Amino acid sequence: MSGPFSRRELLTRLGGGFGSVALAGMLARDARAAIHGFYSGPKLPGRAKHVIMLFLAGGPSHVDMFDPKPALEKYAGQRPDSTNLRTERETGGLLPSPFKFAKYGRNGVDVSELLPQLAAVIDDVCVIRSMYTFNPTHTPARSLYHTGSILATRPSTGAWVSYGLGTENDNLPAFVVLSPGFGGSGGSLARSGFLPAEHQGISFNCSETAPEKMIPDLRNKWSAAEDQRADLDAIQALNRGFGKTFGPDDYLEGRIKSMEAAYRMQFEALDVFDIRKEPETVRAEYGPDPFGNGCLLARRLVEKGVRYVHVNQGIGQPWDDHEKIEKRLRERCPGMDRAAAALIRDLKRRGLLDETLVVWGGEFGRTPVSESGTGRDHNPYGFTMWMAGGGIKGGIAYGATDEFGFKAVENRVSIHDLHATMMHQLGIDHTRLTYRYAGRDFRLTDVFGDPVKDILA
Amino acid sequence: MARKLLGVSLLLVGCVSAQPVDSAFFETKIRPVLAAKCYACHSSQSKSPMSGLVLDTKAGALKGGRLGAAVVPGKPAESHLLRAIEYRDTHLQMPPGGKLPDDVAADFRRWIEGGAPDPRQDAPAASAKPRGMSIEEGRKWWAFQPLAERPRPKVKAASWPATKIDYFVLEKLDARQLAPSPAADKRALIRRVYVDLVGYKPAFDEVERFAASKDPAAYADLVERLLASPHYGEAWGRHWLDVARFAEDNPTSEATNPPYPFAWRYRDWVIEAMNRDVPYDRFVKMQLAADHMSVPRDELRALGYLGTAPVYHKDQRLSADVIGGFLADDFDDRIDAVTRGVLGLTVACARCHDHKFDPLSTKDYYGLAGVFASTMRVERPMFDVEPEVERRYLWVQRRLFDLRYSINLLSGEALTVVNSVELVAKWKPELQALEKEMKSYQDKYPALVKSLERYWTFAPPAKDQPRQRRVETTSREPYMNAVYDAAQYVDGSEKAYTVLQYKPGEARDYPVLINGNVATPGQPVPRKFVEVLSRGETAFRNGSGRLELADKLFDDAGPLAARVIVNRVWGWHFGKPLSPTPSDFGTQGEKPSHPELLDDLAARFVRNGWSLKWLHREILLSSTYRQSSKPRPDAQAVDQANALLWRMHPRRLDVEAYRDTLLHVSGRMNPNPGGPSEDVDADESVRRTVYGRVSRSRVSKLLQLYDFPDAAQTSPGRDLTTSSLQSLFVLNSSFMKLAAEGVVKAVAADASAADTARALFRRVLARDPSPEELDAALTYLAKRGPESFAQVLLSTNEVIFQP
Repeated sequence: MSGPFSRRELLTRLGGGFGSVALAGMLARDARAAIHGFYSGPKLPGRAKHVIMLFLAGGPSHVDMFDPKPALEKYAGQRPDSTNLRTERETGGLLPSPFKFAKYGRNGVDVSELLPQLAAVIDDVCVIRSMYTFNPTHTPARSLYHTGSILATRPSTGAWVSYGLGTENDNLPAFVVLSPGFGGSGGSLARSGFLPAEHQGISFNCSETAPEKMIPDLRNKWSAAEDQRADLDAIQALNRGFGKTFGPDDYLEGRIKSMEAAYRMQFEALDVFDIRKEPETVRAEYGPDPFGNGCLLARRLVEKGVRYVHVNQGIGQPWDDHEKIEKRLRERCPGMDRAAAALIRDLKRRGLLDETLVVWGGEFGRTPVSESGTGRDHNPYGFTMWMAGGGIKGGIAYGATDEFGFKAVENRVSIHDLHATMMHQLGIDHTRLTYRYAGRDFRLTDVFGDPVKDILA
Repeated sequence: MARKLLGVSLLLVGCVSAQPVDSAFFETKIRPVLAAKCYACHSSQSKSPMSGLVLDTKAGALKGGRLGAAVVPGKPAESHLLRAIEYRDTHLQMPPGGKLPDDVAADFRRWIEGGAPDPRQDAPAASAKPRGMSIEEGRKWWAFQPLAERPRPKVKAASWPATKIDYFVLEKLDARQLAPSPAADKRALIRRVYVDLVGYKPAFDEVERFAASKDPAAYADLVERLLASPHYGEAWGRHWLDVARFAEDNPTSEATNPPYPFAWRYRDWVIEAMNRDVPYDRFVKMQLAADHMSVPRDELRALGYLGTAPVYHKDQRLSADVIGGFLADDFDDRIDAVTRGVLGLTVACARCHDHKFDPLSTKDYYGLAGVFASTMRVERPMFDVEPEVERRYLWVQRRLFDLRYSINLLSGEALTVVNSVELVAKWKPELQALEKEMKSYQDKYPALVKSLERYWTFAPPAKDQPRQRRVETTSREPYMNAVYDAAQYVDGSEKAYTVLQYKPGEARDYPVLINGNVATPGQPVPRKFVEVLSRGETAFRNGSGRLELADKLFDDAGPLAARVIVNRVWGWHFGKPLSPTPSDFGTQGEKPSHPELLDDLAARFVRNGWSLKWLHREILLSSTYRQSSKPRPDAQAVDQANALLWRMHPRRLDVEAYRDTLLHVSGRMNPNPGGPSEDVDADESVRRTVYGRVSRSRVSKLLQLYDFPDAAQTSPGRDLTTSSLQSLFVLNSSFMKLAAEGVVKAVAADASAADTARALFRRVLARDPSPEELDAALTYLAKRGPESFAQVLLSTNEVIFQP
């Protein structure tokens, strides 16, 4: 009842009712939405069909990874005027990066020694060094990252894409969230907000590798498959009998099909979600940790038509390095580096990189000034994200922060601009991606954001 | 480099200049920059220039955008254009792509200091007048008109109508040459009205008794019996809780916005109030202002509507602007919940600018914001306390909560904040003084003093010790999450540290925020009601103004409020409301399919004392409601969507009715009412779904699966979906397995196979099997046994379908 007409009515208007169209996916129920989604603006030339979002909660330190600042050495311990920006906590003098940087790829993009594998694929990566956002604390900044707003009512980017483009696979959700352990999907990241609940991200635990442990109620613990088929036949016989008594009804027919789809999904999902079916060499390339599993599974899912896969690196907010940043980054980076680079290589080998937009980042960056002498505070004024594939120029570093890496100053890209760019690459004019809500055709990007045209291939 | 040096030196020495500031200066130094860097977003050619600012005309530059004048000749400090391009203000930096070279900024400064000569001859920039309706036009909007009962329309089949509703429905059917559907058979009807009024399906005996009755009053009696059942309030209270965006915690439960341990008392109040048939106007008024009404203490539980509202975490290390922004978001929730929920108006659209379509202004918005800026969330005692003592207690309670948070923060992870040691030292004596003061009430109000105990023993944890994260999610202590009148202010006087100030008994008017931004406050607006709906005096004078607001909703805006609730109630009975946009009765909403019916019903609802049970009877006893829901090709060809109501809408049960029906038929239901919530996802949870915990951050898997609405905002209505994940739950979940076991336990164990089959059909589907069904059942039972067959029956469409 949220649009001009309900989806059921829409479906009927499109002709034929439920019986005559393919059952539209695990969550969407409308053939039109399944194939085209509800985006009705002009189709932009963007080539991407899928998004894989690699999310580093807590805020990875750009000056230690992608944005070298020699001035930090020169002014180490000092606090020049331009560094007096208010962040979450009280900070001290400038803290030089302990990591060595070198230039990689055809254009000589800076990457630190922490990320040798990403450095090796940098020609497929566009490093955006001039990101900025609008809040220095985790929860609101994450909400901005995922939804473009700090309000708890707004849908997340994955929900936008599920709503806008629909799904390509009847038996899998359009928007999947992979997170090690539980609690990764709460709050803004998977939220459907004011969009219909079917666009909510469906969350799976990627610290497990057995599909039946990742998907609730995927397997029946009490019946063998053939017994369950007999049960389902009995259910459907009763359903058909009831349908005959009542008369043709969209809901009744839809539920009959949905039961069949669920039955099939038990086996299909067992296959798709099972990364153990990958060759050992591929699994080794991604690495054995949950993030490696998540990246590999993300590739398997987009291969099968899932629109949007969000992969969380770690539990909680591991990249929140308020102290001991050198030690912690040395521990944490290798696994992340290996899996993210493997994903790019693997997508490319399979010819999927062009149609898959990979986005990497955290809710903000970290300060060039120190907190507690060995760590860095939150920095929404300037930080780094990167994109790869999906029609984005590779091998470039775009934009710049000031001489200390505190604030984006050149070719600034707001989190809203990033969202607009993602939509653009998916062929969506984000100003036309709307949903009738609270009395208007509500733009999912609200009133913000412009695509960053300079980084499009 | 030379040029850059020159620019800087010019700035230093003031207005000494090689080139005089004149029209030529504008043409060479200013206009090219405006054209290259600004016109893309700030052009009079653009349909909606950013921030309403146009710079390609002289008048536009002088007039400025939403912030005010962009260029004030001779006054650089007041020229927003200069502020923006000099990049000194973190909130206003233009162009967005990066700061202009210093010398260019210096040119602009000189130009403005020199009187901003601008030779452009232009027509005045297009006025930024909102496209929305004027107040005068708005007063004519259909939904705002006084209510009047309508004459009974003339219809062809005068024998069909049973209540006045039917005349309006039949008139429209007549006009399209459609006949209404025959009455539903009695077995379908009793199922329908059970699910509708008490929220689960009836048992076999109940169905058969009703089907067998020859008493013409049997249906009316059934309706009365169900309306009088305590389970009625459980089903209908839940409908209201969707509108009230009820939940027991916050979207992000953090240190300053922990869960609401007494939220369940508000939920219970709603259920009880429904059962008592508290008139709807009074029902809403109590939720907004019970503490200003003469009501028993117990009724203050109603204030949970505001007392459990979603709030954002306010980390005190953030700047006053950021904290002020969070606070404004809190107020926004209240404004949105009340105006969309009760009035069907999207007043929250007027937060940043006047409403683009409806006659609602930012003044309307901020007039309401003041009410909520003068209302504090607190835990109020369930027992009576002298008013002055309670007011003091409530202030102390909040102060202690904040102090504990501050001290904890500043002596722990935020030890680096300048002056943190001094600040903590300053607060310690305050803590001790408050302890002494509150302990003086020990004899008179021991429970009050006890509730503060945790603050006296408080000692901040050592830096490297993990902090205790125990958060009470629910409690039976004698308190309720409610509100009282206290003005809230953000105090940014400490440099690195922001605190909230509460002034009990005081109210504050809130300023219009330019573009909704707390950093750019405009004029304060008196606390007041929405102008277009007001008759006479609009300003509120009594405390926060909550009671006056509540009164206005049902006096000045009474016709609208009545239309909105009658439309919602219609939707909850029929599955579709008369207007398909129940929370938007503005110009962007959909008009009702039967406007005269809605008006007449609303008028009579008000005349009958806003009684929901009156409204239920009027609807349930109608022939329209009692129609069969079976499809009819002739009617579908004319009206596929059934907008004309030629049949009852068939539909899926909502999650509460589905789960509760499954618990009932399996004999597992624990029917005890009220009390703290439990986790509906837990196997051992067997109470009604309305007693399940509702979270804004960790939504129950089952609730989410079956379309439970997002509790962070008022819900306009549920969209009931079908999905394969739902089907996986039906096929494989332990809940269904337990239900099947329960069903088998509840039927006779030593019966013959045919008796067992029949008993299982009766238990689960409340009917006997057809001969074919019985045959199939016997074959199946022989192979797979009664428990599997019970699960088969539980999994059928028939269980989840409401004909």
